[in-house]
Amino acid sequence: MASKTASRDIITLRGSAAIVSEFFGYAANSILYNRGVYPEESFVKVKKYGLPMLLTQDEGVKSFIANLTAQLSEWLESGKLQRIVLVIMSKSTNEVLERWNFSIETNSEVVETGVSKEKSDKEIMREIQAIMRQIASSITYLPCLDETCKNKNHFTHQWYYLFTNFSFFFLNYSDFFCFVLGVFDVLAYTDKDVAVPFTWIESDPKLIANPQMVKLHSFDTKIHKVNTLVSYKNDEWDEQ
Amino acid sequence: MLIRTPPPKRPRAAAMETGATGSPPPAAGSDRTLVIYEDPLSATPPPAAGSDRTLVIYEDPPSATPPQLDSSSSHQMLCTYQCRQLVKADFLVALSSAEKEARDCQSSLEAMNEKFSKVEAERKKYLDQFLYTEQELAAAKGREQSLQEQLLKDVTDSQERFRKQIESYSKLEVKLQSEMNLRMKAESSAASAEEDVGILKEKLSHLSESTGRGRRCLESEIEQLKGDSKLSATRISAELERMEFRANNAEKESQLLKEQLEDSQKQFKECLHLKGELEKKLSSFTFQEVTPSPTESHILVKHLQEELRNYEAEVREARKLKSSHENIELLKEKLLEEKGRRERAESELSKLQEIQLSMKKLEDELSFWKLVTKDIPGVSCSEDLPVKFAALQREVIDGTMKVGEVNARLKQLEVALDSAQIDKQKAEAEAALAKEKAEVLKSEVKQIQTMLTMVTDERDNLRNIVNELKKSNSGEAGNQEASGTGTLIQGLESCIEKKECYIKELETSLSVQKEANNCQYEEVKLLNERLNNEAKRIKSLERENDRLRSEISLLESKLGHGDFSAANTKVLRMVNTLAVDNEAKQTIEALRTELQKTKERLQAVEELKSQSGDSGKLVDSYISGKITQLKEQIATLEKREERYKTVFADRISVFRRACCEIFGYKIVMDDQQRPNGIPVTRFTLQSIYAQSDDEKLEFEYESGNTNILANSYSSQREISQQVEIYIRKLNSIPAFTANLTVESFNRRTLS
Repeated sequence: MASKTASRDIITLRGSAAIVSEFFGYAANSILYNRGVYPEESFVKVKKYGLPMLLTQDEGVKSFIANLTAQLSEWLESGKLQRIVLVIMSKSTNEVLERWNFSIETNSEVVETGVSKEKSDKEIMREIQAIMRQIASSITYLPCLDETCKNKNHFTHQWYYLFTNFSFFFLNYSDFFCFVLGVFDVLAYTDKDVAVPFTWIESDPKLIANPQMVKLHSFDTKIHKVNTLVSYKNDEWDEQ
Repeated sequence: MLIRTPPPKRPRAAAMETGATGSPPPAAGSDRTLVIYEDPLSATPPPAAGSDRTLVIYEDPPSATPPQLDSSSSHQMLCTYQCRQLVKADFLVALSSAEKEARDCQSSLEAMNEKFSKVEAERKKYLDQFLYTEQELAAAKGREQSLQEQLLKDVTDSQERFRKQIESYSKLEVKLQSEMNLRMKAESSAASAEEDVGILKEKLSHLSESTGRGRRCLESEIEQLKGDSKLSATRISAELERMEFRANNAEKESQLLKEQLEDSQKQFKECLHLKGELEKKLSSFTFQEVTPSPTESHILVKHLQEELRNYEAEVREARKLKSSHENIELLKEKLLEEKGRRERAESELSKLQEIQLSMKKLEDELSFWKLVTKDIPGVSCSEDLPVKFAALQREVIDGTMKVGEVNARLKQLEVALDSAQIDKQKAEAEAALAKEKAEVLKSEVKQIQTMLTMVTDERDNLRNIVNELKKSNSGEAGNQEASGTGTLIQGLESCIEKKECYIKELETSLSVQKEANNCQYEEVKLLNERLNNEAKRIKSLERENDRLRSEISLLESKLGHGDFSAANTKVLRMVNTLAVDNEAKQTIEALRTELQKTKERLQAVEELKSQSGDSGKLVDSYISGKITQLKEQIATLEKREERYKTVFADRISVFRRACCEIFGYKIVMDDQQRPNGIPVTRFTLQSIYAQSDDEKLEFEYESGNTNILANSYSSQREISQQVEIYIRKLNSIPAFTANLTVESFNRRTLS
């Protein structure tokens, strides 16, 4: 979204805000896919940042993310956004399991004076690509979300209750999964003087007690610098 | 010692003339000295009388006037016999005196010779001493040269050291500049970090404020929840009671209706039977061709009409019964729904109890915290707590900072102490070395000075001796040797003076070099001090760097954790339309399904109503058809059920046998219910290698969690140990069962 001049390297505040909000949209989709919050079959592959990115086809999630990115873009243009956090919680206990933290450093000079900066689009894309690869590879060290390991199929329960009177030993070897395995939410850390839109409410930061933290790469458009960090709840198996 | 210059001659002629005139000859032992003059040309003894050589006797006057040789020699002594006798006597006396004098002279000569020998010995001594001094001078020269060379070496070494120190100083200056730059950067980063810290502190304070607000909100919510829960509990209990009553009434009504249904069915059957008989009768009546009387036909018709009316009434009653039956079924469904609601209400009641327990806990905690807040000084209410905590945290942070600073200062002081001690030791060593050198030089200087004094003393003594010799030996032959020794002495003196000058020059050069060395030493000291200061600065900067890095890592961890300052930041959350939409969709779908069901029921009822307008036959046939259809469906479903049961029984028995043979355990499953109503499945496992029927393990399965139950077999020592290891510590039931099978197999095979 950089303003295209002869050199193709000039980036304005609006362009940078669009880059960052678009990045967050794709990153959120990637996280939802890789962490198994939504089933794989509800995602479709598209080409972006030189990589095959997965986007959800669920209309609810799509509209949610679209509204979110629009609001984030607005806040980024005003320089009021400090951080975006994507929180993954357990559906049954509502406990926070993971926090994907995208902290944003805004160049205040650009916001106040409206000057534009220069940076190669390719370099920005390369930096974003690195972050996306790291998100995809995060499944190697992030703990398994509990709900994905359990089977909650109503069908098998029916069969189970049918045969209890005969005390048969029956193994659940069907491969049906519960369709919404976890709950995700998005928090925005903004300046104190920001007017709260009517679709947003003030919230607690949904922290994790004694989390493990992994710092990922960052990318910089010379106007907005985005640092990525994931903090997750210690897995009991890892502790043992 | 013989004196070369002749002493002055006495005017003897004047004395003889005076003697000739009758003056007494000079008595021996008078003050006047008798000088016997000898012709220097011939060193022969004095000639006898009457020879050509004349004997002249002179008397040396006391004034030591120069002898008038010319005037006295020209005069010839004329004497008479008396004069001759007198002269002879005088001559004899003079001879004796001369002899005495000669003896004296000889003695004096001998003494002089002795003295001369002594002087020669002394001269030799002095020569030896001179040579010795010359050797010493040469040695001193050599030493001076060596000292000079050493000094030159030292100077060159010190110059090289100075150059090296200058180079190191220049490098240090470069390092200093770089360190200064680093320090500036570190200071700037420290300032920025301090600003970040201030910002974070403000965020913390805001956090604490927000937590206080959250607590207040929670408390208000808890209170609201309490009220709501109480209200809901009362409502639910009231509804429960109502529903129970309704259920009881509905059951009673359903029983009554069932009885009525049965009665009506019986009546219906009787009616059908009667109908059949009547039809038979009617048909038989037609075959008999007997014209019955009109009254009888009227009666029959009336009877039939009455029966028809009765049948219609019964049909109406049957319809009513069906409707009531349908109502019963609806009521049953409602009952089931109410039962479900009742169960939900009971579960909610249990949840209520849990909520009440949690409420009590929260109230206890609140009271505890209130008591704690009362104990905390400076806190009057819960709102003051976050402020107090923030203040305490700040104090703790300040304290830790101060402790860190104090520790850093202590370390700096220790380092300074160590360096000062090292410097002190170095200075002491250098001072000792310098003292030793100075003492050595002083001793050398003293030695040279003593040598000089000795040489000057000897020179003075020799001068004195020479003067004395000069005085005593005025015309002797030792004059030449005296002059030689004098020249030697002069040469020695000149040499000594030269050496003195040289020594003075050396001393001045020594002092100059000492001063130069002192200056260099001081410069070296200054440089060392500067070095130490720079090293200290570097260490302090490194410590600051480490501290800043630790602070940065702390801040990053806080950022990663999600902390923020409530003064500058607020956390917003988008209302999760997904969940809301999902819930709405679910409710919509549920309502749609209910609508469809009700529509189907309405259609069925309307069909029934529409069909109820036909004659009794259609109703009966429709009802019977429906009944047969339902019976057929029931029969098919029952057959299917039996087939599925047999198939599943076969499959499950095969599966059970396979599991038993593969895993080695016979498993019996049993459903039970806990006192709180939660359904639980119990499994009893018996190993195929068990030696008795008592060797059974019991497990309890509930919502994904499997727990072992204690029984007589599992409480045995060996089994309990394995349970502790595999299940409690390692959390692995398969490992426990596998180990148990192996052990029981081993026991079986061994036995």
